[in-house]
Amino acid sequence: MSEATSARVARMLTEKGFDAYVIEGGLKAWRKAGLPVEKVPEHDLELLPRFDQ
Amino acid sequence: MSNIVEIIARYGYQSLALALFLEAIGFPIPAALALLASGAAIAAGAMQFSIALPVAVTAMLIADALLYVAGRYSGWALLSLLCRISLNPEVCILRSAKWFYRRGRLTLLFAKFIPGVNTMAPPLAGSMKMQSGTFLRLDVVGVLVYVLTYGTLGYLFHGMLDAIARGVRTFGSVAEWLIAVAALAYIGYRVWLGTRHRMDGLVRRVRVAELANRLNDRAAPPIVIADVRSHGYYDAGAQRVRGSIRLEPNNLDSALDALPKDAPIFLYCT
Repeated sequence: MSEATSARVARMLTEKGFDAYVIEGGLKAWRKAGLPVEKVPEHDLELLPRFDQ
Repeated sequence: MSNIVEIIARYGYQSLALALFLEAIGFPIPAALALLASGAAIAAGAMQFSIALPVAVTAMLIADALLYVAGRYSGWALLSLLCRISLNPEVCILRSAKWFYRRGRLTLLFAKFIPGVNTMAPPLAGSMKMQSGTFLRLDVVGVLVYVLTYGTLGYLFHGMLDAIARGVRTFGSVAEWLIAVAALAYIGYRVWLGTRHRMDGLVRRVRVAELANRLNDRAAPPIVIADVRSHGYYDAGAQRVRGSIRLEPNNLDSALDALPKDAPIFLYCT
């Protein structure tokens, strides 16, 4: 089920004329193959509010 | 006395507590009905307000507190789980989070009235590390408003509720028919979802090894790798494919301008 979202987005993008592909196995497969990852940048994380300040 | 009031009078406070507890932890139980019936039972003298109110409020608060604590200590894992059970997992987390985003912590005051958001609000508050005192104070008010609103409606309109209950009994299996229709509609919806996923099978796919080769090939034209995970972006220290960009799957239209039409786009989720 790890490709449900990417498949849906790929279909929508294809309909809009983009050249979209789904990466088989997603991030899990990417990690398993030992390919490089990075930390999600802080400003992307601040998408949601926090209440602990 | 009609059957709704009879049921509540017989199983009384336990059934009221159970209904509220189960609804609060996410079971699709119409607790509002139990509250309406309890209000009617109080009007008919079959239940006591001074017992029913604390029973209802306590049951709901216990459930909320459990979810809050679980959300607080599991990060976003519990939310992902809760959302997997829901009909539309992808939208689930963000939809409820958006309420918090827009209306802040006051969401807790009216969350109980909104299906979907009601179960998600306490664990979300936990995941967002709301202080337990703040959470408790807001949630007590939210639960009180919910319980009193439906209880009062039941109390005021108990005559009408009796009539409805009697009507259902007269027309025999109306309720059963309604349940059957709802079940069929649900199955239909799942089948429809299934066909959508089969259509997704037509989408072009690429293996990670193939993509890695492409990345290593300096001569190859530029590509874009996009992260479309709907959740997994909220925990500090979360990882993603190196050099990939964020593409918010629930808000795709606004992101389209930033995407190139001439370069291939490779998408991944978890």
